[in-house]
Amino acid sequence: MNTIRCSIRCSIRTVVLLAVVTFIIVSPARAVDDVSATEQELLAVLRSDAPASEKALTCKKLAIHGTDAAVPELAKLLPDPQLSSWARIALEAVPGAAADDALHSAAETLQGRLLVGMINSLGVRRHAESVPLLATRLKDDDLEVASASAVALGHIGNAAATRTLRTALATVPEEARSAVAEGCVLCAERLHSEGNAAAATEIYDQVREADVPMQRIIEATRGAILARGQDGIPLLLETFESPNHKLFQLALGTVREFPGGAVDRLLADTMMKAPPERAALMIQAMADRPDTVILAAVLQAAEQGDRRVRLSAVDALRRVGNESCLPSLLKIAVEDDAALADTAQTTLAALPGENVDAQIVERLQQADGKNYVLLLQLVGQRRIDAVSDVLEAVDHADPAVRHAALLALGETVSLQRLSVLISQVVAPRFRDDAPVAQQALRTASIRMPDRDACATELAHALNSAPAGAKTTLLEILSDVGGTRALQTLATAAASDDDELQDAGSRLLGRWNSVEAAPVLLDLAENGPAEKYRVRALRGYIGLARKFAMPDPQRARMCEQALNATRRTAEHQLVLDVLQLHPSTDGLKLAIAAMKRPGLKDDATRAALIIAQKIGGKGVDVSELLAGAGLDKVKLEIVKAEYGAGAAQKDVTDVIRKQAGDLPVITLVSASYNASFGGDPSPGVVKKLRIQYRINDQPAEASFAENALIILPPPK
Amino acid sequence: MSKQAPQVPRRRFLQTTVGAAATAVAAPTIIPASALGRDGAVAPSERVVVGGIGIGRRGGYDLGCFLEQKDVQFVAVCDVKQKRRGEVKNIADKHYGNDKCATYRDFRNLLDRSDIDAVLIATGPNWHATAAMTAAKAGKDMYCEKPVTKNISQSLILSDTMRRTGRVFQAGTQRRNLPHFAFACELARTGRLGPLKKVYAHPAGMQAMMSGWLVPEPEPEKEVVDWDMYLGPAAWRPFNAKLLDGFNFEKGGGLVGGGVLEWGSHCVDLCQWAVGDCPPPVEYNAPKDGELVARYENGTELIFREKGWIPLGSCPVRFEGETGWVEAGDSGRMVLSSPELLAGRKVEEIGGYPATFHVRDFLDCVKTRSQPKGNADAACNAHIACHAANIALHLNRQVRYDNATHTFIDDVQANRLRSEALREPWRL
Repeated sequence: MNTIRCSIRCSIRTVVLLAVVTFIIVSPARAVDDVSATEQELLAVLRSDAPASEKALTCKKLAIHGTDAAVPELAKLLPDPQLSSWARIALEAVPGAAADDALHSAAETLQGRLLVGMINSLGVRRHAESVPLLATRLKDDDLEVASASAVALGHIGNAAATRTLRTALATVPEEARSAVAEGCVLCAERLHSEGNAAAATEIYDQVREADVPMQRIIEATRGAILARGQDGIPLLLETFESPNHKLFQLALGTVREFPGGAVDRLLADTMMKAPPERAALMIQAMADRPDTVILAAVLQAAEQGDRRVRLSAVDALRRVGNESCLPSLLKIAVEDDAALADTAQTTLAALPGENVDAQIVERLQQADGKNYVLLLQLVGQRRIDAVSDVLEAVDHADPAVRHAALLALGETVSLQRLSVLISQVVAPRFRDDAPVAQQALRTASIRMPDRDACATELAHALNSAPAGAKTTLLEILSDVGGTRALQTLATAAASDDDELQDAGSRLLGRWNSVEAAPVLLDLAENGPAEKYRVRALRGYIGLARKFAMPDPQRARMCEQALNATRRTAEHQLVLDVLQLHPSTDGLKLAIAAMKRPGLKDDATRAALIIAQKIGGKGVDVSELLAGAGLDKVKLEIVKAEYGAGAAQKDVTDVIRKQAGDLPVITLVSASYNASFGGDPSPGVVKKLRIQYRINDQPAEASFAENALIILPPPK
Repeated sequence: MSKQAPQVPRRRFLQTTVGAAATAVAAPTIIPASALGRDGAVAPSERVVVGGIGIGRRGGYDLGCFLEQKDVQFVAVCDVKQKRRGEVKNIADKHYGNDKCATYRDFRNLLDRSDIDAVLIATGPNWHATAAMTAAKAGKDMYCEKPVTKNISQSLILSDTMRRTGRVFQAGTQRRNLPHFAFACELARTGRLGPLKKVYAHPAGMQAMMSGWLVPEPEPEKEVVDWDMYLGPAAWRPFNAKLLDGFNFEKGGGLVGGGVLEWGSHCVDLCQWAVGDCPPPVEYNAPKDGELVARYENGTELIFREKGWIPLGSCPVRFEGETGWVEAGDSGRMVLSSPELLAGRKVEEIGGYPATFHVRDFLDCVKTRSQPKGNADAACNAHIACHAANIALHLNRQVRYDNATHTFIDDVQANRLRSEALREPWRL
């Protein structure tokens, strides 16, 4: 199986990764001359009395530019608790023996956490010469040091390191044994990836038998199974039967990695003997081996036995089943157990196999009762082209059969046969079928690739449809969308039929594309009744609000909306749109709106808000505002504070700097924190309080964080 | 060669959407509850006992998804911040109607608990890989937020560690379990767009994110904020409260995670899924005009693109084949070159199962030991692509990557950026 190759590749990958570090170490850095000047500049920082922060970042740069020349300066930082790890960032990356020696020397003298850092870096660099030192540190009284040494030896993984770890496994104190076992497993993995499976197996077995934590046993057991190749099958099966749940779980994972097909038969046999809660999980693992799974065993588990096992098996057949499973699944899908029946139907809907569709259609012709309903549902779910067969069921005496047939038609009928569903909606033979037929027609209509052709069919039916059905057809047309549907709805809304007017204007009002704008505007201006005109106008304004369009176009739409009615409510909606999409064109319109009766205050506020928004983006709005009769004021900022509770920041100067001769303050950023040079109280909701004078009259106002700053006139 | 990430054989995700036999859109069905013993009252033996590590804003959302699952028992939280420990404990205790959620300041103490099966890791990204691998070695399965790794070396070690330890790992790449993204990826992967030419990811800012070494402030009591544990594997720097909410990576010196990794771990991950989770690109070019172009072995291009997206919400992706294209974003919508690609469905119809599915996917795999969607190999490949792109960005030149050796070809500087030492005592 691919997975085992994957495992080996991955182990090789680790070897390669570490080997590259070695390669870098023994190879001269490319273009050293090019970087030497940079390196000298960086070293000058380390040699200076620059602050620690500067030296820290210099270390990071030396990780790219450093050479042997940098090592002595970096080594000086290794005993520094603050800069030691920064220095190791560079030293782990710098090629050459000098960096190894520096880390090794530091590991001989340092203690505690700093020593652990050196050991970790020696492990990353796979410094073979450090094995004797690490072997000594393995016996250190400091558990962190001993554990780090064990893992570092595991990373080095040469013969000496492996020998040291295997010996230590039996001798180190219990507390350090887990890390030693981890190192052993790393060594074994390396040996396995290098092709020495026998040696790897020996180490894995040694760890399995050691007194180490269960997780180490799990890792060693996995390795022991895979390193043995096909000879690992008995151990795998034994692990499946382990009373320890963690080992059972390991077997579930490992069998998915196990190569070849020999294990599948034995796995199936083990599954059949396993307790139900385990068998259910084993079936899922079996199905994750689709190339070699014993299908008969899964099918047998699906057909009879423990309910939990059956459910798992029926689910698994969705991935590994074929047409041979069809008869059994069809039986299960009509059982009384709802969970089993539902799972079986889900599996049937996706069951692989070239002949499955044909067999379902064949069975359809002789089916009855629950089976008939099931088969019709499967026709729909699998989108089987069997319209002629399904049509025979549309007039069946059993409503469940009729409804299943209608829904199947909804999923499968073509445009040419759409009329069969239209007729069921316009003139249903059975009254109870009407809602189902409508649902089916909607399903069919919205999936037609040529929606205009579909809309034409539906529009044609509209002419002869009885009251009630007309609304249904219009709603379906609305779901279909497109030019033809839009035209049909427009015609309906403008007709002299109240039902059509109502449905047409309602559906146009929620039309979801700007193509509807002219239709809605026309209806808003010339509609047959006030309530429909309002509905259309709101839909029109909604388009201007929702959709991306050039600023002039949006402003033009808003202007037309303002002109189309005298109602304040819709005027305010227009002003909201202008504020939501601020632009120069919108500002001009808002200023013009100030002259409309009853709209002056709202339009003035909108103009100021728009002005502030676009002013913040560099647009000069002063001339427009001044020309609008928004009289200039004498504005004086007395004091401004920003913050929460006792944490207040004086922002008077910032506000003063931004204040002009209008009662609006535009900050450099929409964020108060950014505008005021930082957050005075992180994580807390803040307020801005301003004391000011307008034309020498005092006033005060508060603004929620990031709110628009429009200063109310003094009372 | 770098390996192909597991293709999640457990469920043939959306296969019927584009399969020959059927064209219905099938949501990814989870294993029946009864088959995994989670129907009705869940027996204690069937529960997955979960602990949380570093549960903040994003982690709080994840926690909600876990608590919704009947077969989850959330028993402990670890956080270096006292306030957050208390907040998460309150949420859990309120949910269960007791006061049993234990709190820890050091996650190793939480990992020592033998009753905990799995952990939710939602710390800052600085901790993700180190915490995940420590958890794996302690025998825990894990759902780990993204970005998972800080460099290429960590990515490779992550996938090797999860395999070696036999643990189930789910990256917090929940878009792999969102239906419209899954549908778009499926179109690309199954050839419905024709031979794939370009896959686009949105990096949301191809710039360095700097935080680094700020002005020292008085360090809080360890019990209030354990600064040493907060830094963890990151190189030392003095306490500054501003770092507590934005300190995601060890920054400074130029190479950082930035938008390429922060968002790439989602949208590049989707691109990787679209190309069949193959090994990451082999060539990465310097950014130009807001685009960074990488190329896979077979010639398909992975393009990090700042602008030019159809407004479909955050985290957009676009896949272009010879005969069609699809673009999708976080709004839940997608745009296709032809309605025929929808196989007769409306875009709005593709969906309908909850966002918690990514968590459910993880929990099912904890029980079955199968591979979840955001498994370690998939996460590894996507993260390598992001890290390599960041290296090209940092060096401002082309770099070429060898998936067999996991090195940059003839490029000492780039190779030096593949890994970085961890602060003591942490190791991978």
